[in-house]
Amino acid sequence: MGFGDLKSPAGLKVLNEFLADKSYIEGYVPSQADVAVFDALSGAPPADLFHALRWYNHIKSYEKQKSSLPGVKKPLGNYGPVNIEDTTGSTAKDTKEEDDDDDIDLFGSDDEEENEESKRVREERLAQYEAKKSKKPALIAKSSILLDVKPWDDETDMAKLEECVRSIQMEGLVWGASKLVPVGYGIKKLQIQCVVEDDKVGTDVLEENITAFEDFVQSMDVAAFNKI
Amino acid sequence: MAVKELVALEKCLGLNSGKYSSRAQGAGKIPVLQTNKGPSLVGLSTIASHLVKEAKKEELLGSTAEEKAIVQQWLEYRISYIDRASSKEDIRNVLNDLNHYLKDKVFVAGNTVTLADILIYYGLHPVITGLSVQEKETYINVSRWFSHIQNYPGIRQHLPSLVFIKNRIYASNH
Repeated sequence: MGFGDLKSPAGLKVLNEFLADKSYIEGYVPSQADVAVFDALSGAPPADLFHALRWYNHIKSYEKQKSSLPGVKKPLGNYGPVNIEDTTGSTAKDTKEEDDDDDIDLFGSDDEEENEESKRVREERLAQYEAKKSKKPALIAKSSILLDVKPWDDETDMAKLEECVRSIQMEGLVWGASKLVPVGYGIKKLQIQCVVEDDKVGTDVLEENITAFEDFVQSMDVAAFNKI
Repeated sequence: MAVKELVALEKCLGLNSGKYSSRAQGAGKIPVLQTNKGPSLVGLSTIASHLVKEAKKEELLGSTAEEKAIVQQWLEYRISYIDRASSKEDIRNVLNDLNHYLKDKVFVAGNTVTLADILIYYGLHPVITGLSVQEKETYINVSRWFSHIQNYPGIRQHLPSLVFIKNRIYASNH
């Protein structure tokens, strides 16, 4: 909070803006808050800042009863718009630290006046990073898939089924170990591992190809899917 | 309307309620106060001034000769412009007038509340109630003055408190 430097044109402008819809610094009656800000000014604000000037003239009329106005005088930094940082240095040290926590400007950059030096360093780092990235070989994304292939009944020839499945040849597809897992009533399902390149083989294509052996395969599920 | 307003003013001044009636005059109605002594008083500002004197709060009519004149002028304005504003155009003119006038003022006259503040506040209340947020911001000086007066102890009475917010989303041009 605060108006910044009230002796500078920028500070007065903040005050002017702040007072556009307010008659007093705080609340609806003149108080010590007004006196504190009034005293911080070096004189009447310029005529074009009419909100600030109006307030100034009004508070001036309370000159004689200044000390009897209600409220307790607080450091100047406690008044004014919330989104302006206090630059008067009048706020006590501990409250200032508290303020720092509250006033995190999520959308602003932390140093607006970026100097030449830091700009150069940043660009250098960026160039380095780009070079490093281009040297690295592109990683091929692979996945390890565990498939469950279910036969029609206990009379389905599982060896033949496995042969059929393994007969599927595609670029970027490697078949791995397999085993037969009993499901019940003497029926066994084929659990088979395979490694695929993500860009080249999709599970949809795989499923389509496997279920194409309709004589043996009743259905197919993906039991596990792991990115390598 | 005017009678209700005078009753509110009586309460605000700490007076007992008087005997009011209203009389048709021209297109509108004007309030009449039947006093115990002498003839009855006619007209809003006449009665209001009388009430202020009755309550021995003469400072509400202005403390210097200049302030007194300003208060009278704005009481007249209240009757002849605010009360007779019938079209949207009239209302806009009134608001523009006031917005301009209040630019460098906290109260209508001087640096304390006067009868002019109170009566213009009562008179404008229905008008301000009908304004949109954007309009309220256009007439920022009126809005500021209005919210100041409605928060001044004792004035608002039965009237609902209106909300003023400063919208910072769009650029304002006041």
